[in-house]
Amino acid sequence: MLLEINDIHVHYGKIAALKGVSVEVDEGEIVTLIGANGAGKTTILKTISGLRPLSTGRILFDGRDISSMPGHKRVLAGIGQAPEGRGIFPGMTVTDNLLMGAYARKGDFSKDLQEAFDLFPRLAERKDQMGGTMSGGEQQMLAIGRALMAKPKVLLLDEPSMGLAPMLVQQIFSIIEEINRRGTTVLLVEQNANQALRLAHRAYVLETGSIVKSAPARELLDDPQVRAAYLGAGATD
Amino acid sequence: MLHDFIVQFWPSTTDGLALGSIYALIALGYTMVYGVLRLINFAHSEIFMIGTFASLGVINLMGISTPLGGIALVGTLALLIVVSGTVSGASAVALEYIAYRPLRRKGASRLAALISAIGASLFLQQLFARILIPWWFGLPKEKGALPIQGRFVQREDLLTLGSFVIRSDKLIILVAAVVMMVVLDQFVVRTKLGRGIRATAQDPETAVLMGVNIDRIVSATFAIGGAMAGVAAALYMLRFEETNYFVGFLLGIKAFTAAVLGGIGNLRGALVGGLALGLIEMYGASIFGTQWQNVVAFVVLVLVLMFRPTGILGESLQKARA
Ligand SMILES: Nc1ncnc2c1ncn2[C@@H]1O[C@H](COP(=O)(O)OP(=O)(O)OP(=O)(O)O)[C@@H](O)[C@H]1O
Ligand SMILES: [Mg+2]
Repeated sequence: MLLEINDIHVHYGKIAALKGVSVEVDEGEIVTLIGANGAGKTTILKTISGLRPLSTGRILFDGRDISSMPGHKRVLAGIGQAPEGRGIFPGMTVTDNLLMGAYARKGDFSKDLQEAFDLFPRLAERKDQMGGTMSGGEQQMLAIGRALMAKPKVLLLDEPSMGLAPMLVQQIFSIIEEINRRGTTVLLVEQNANQALRLAHRAYVLETGSIVKSAPARELLDDPQVRAAYLGAGATD
Repeated sequence: MLHDFIVQFWPSTTDGLALGSIYALIALGYTMVYGVLRLINFAHSEIFMIGTFASLGVINLMGISTPLGGIALVGTLALLIVVSGTVSGASAVALEYIAYRPLRRKGASRLAALISAIGASLFLQQLFARILIPWWFGLPKEKGALPIQGRFVQREDLLTLGSFVIRSDKLIILVAAVVMMVVLDQFVVRTKLGRGIRATAQDPETAVLMGVNIDRIVSATFAIGGAMAGVAAALYMLRFEETNYFVGFLLGIKAFTAAVLGGIGNLRGALVGGLALGLIEMYGASIFGTQWQNVVAFVVLVLVLMFRPTGILGESLQKARA
């Protein structure tokens, strides 16, 4: 297992946001995490990245217990994240935002920059534009491109399709597939369950801080409960 | 009144620019720390005070008997800048480590940090007035609050064009301040550490996701801001040749005013705000009399807060290009 989350509890003050969550992600997989608003999806990703401390449980990455490793060191260990809301540095250029992605690494990044620009030609056209003035879709590309600059072993994506037009959602999802094909493991949090379940190998369903289902993604597409709760009545295959 | 203003226009201008340069350098520390931590570091004025004593120590150690001019003066000033910059920078890092970091670790409110800042400020003043100054200069304890002189500058006119006179010390101060500002600006725009500082100011949580060690960025910010206050302290000693335990108080408030005037959190704003405040004060003094100099400065602060709370340049370290 590349990433193993073992019965973690996470609290905001006295309120429990995660009540014993276990998730496993194997090397090369795309695993998706679906669930309603407030279920705790973002909290899981923040805890993996070390932004939230866990009360009990542990997180193993690459065979090591990283439960108490400071957040900035987890990036170097191989955990990259494009956070919810994209987290673009508004007053930094597209190029500087991308360079921030490589902050933990040493050396020359011109080749990595070029790769990011190849993956997202739109970013190349706008490399001197301020991040804060980019459109939502462009910011999402920038967030993903930036996370890749760290050369992560696992890429955590928090609702990459949020607020994007259907065309752009398609594009983002096919880029995620491409990133995975090139060898990066992906843990994908999505509201857009239909798309996410088509893309992922395996899936977990989260409800108010607990995992209620885990199965191969295709199976959940046909699961009546999941269809009713997350795919909407009119969802078709 | 208007006549005085016209007659004193050039002297007021050069005085204002020299004073404003010192404000600007101190303002950098307020602005950078505010940008990264959203904290008004009230003890920054004492970081400046410590810098003046570092310069004074060097002047005393060198045992300068005749006032210096020309190359000797510039060389001495360079030494003072290096020593005061280092001492103030190190003091600022220590201050953060002792007075702010433990609170930050515990997730204390900003008000708690502000109170800690005021406490640290008073502590450092009293430490100098009651213990360090008497011990260092062999004074009785109750004399520790008196100003202490360190004469080393030969005042000479560098350039005279009609009523336009620039004294060498004022020119040096302006040039040194502008050079430091440009170097710092380029540092923040171009280097990796500078990018880390900007990223932390704009979005600390995402900065961690990029692998930024926030503690290290905070230390670097205090080191740089403190070092700039130390440079200001060396220039202040060049200009006034004396200091006391309380020297940072008024200058600190003025520099804070300059930071707000330029737009707090904005590096270039510190330069603009500092020079503007220096000029406004000196022009105000020439019109209303020098006893009104501080009144003019603080009326400016109140007016800025009332009508343009984001300052002249407005955008901050969070959003600015630099
Ligand atoms: N900083 C916080 N302080 C207090 N409670 C919080 C905080 N952040 C999240 N929570 C609570 O924790 C729970 C889980 O939040 P989380 O953001 O992980 O949900 P989510 O599944 O990502 O939801 P969404 O789909 O809306 O993004 C929610 O009940 C939320 O109100
Ligand atoms: Mg969320």
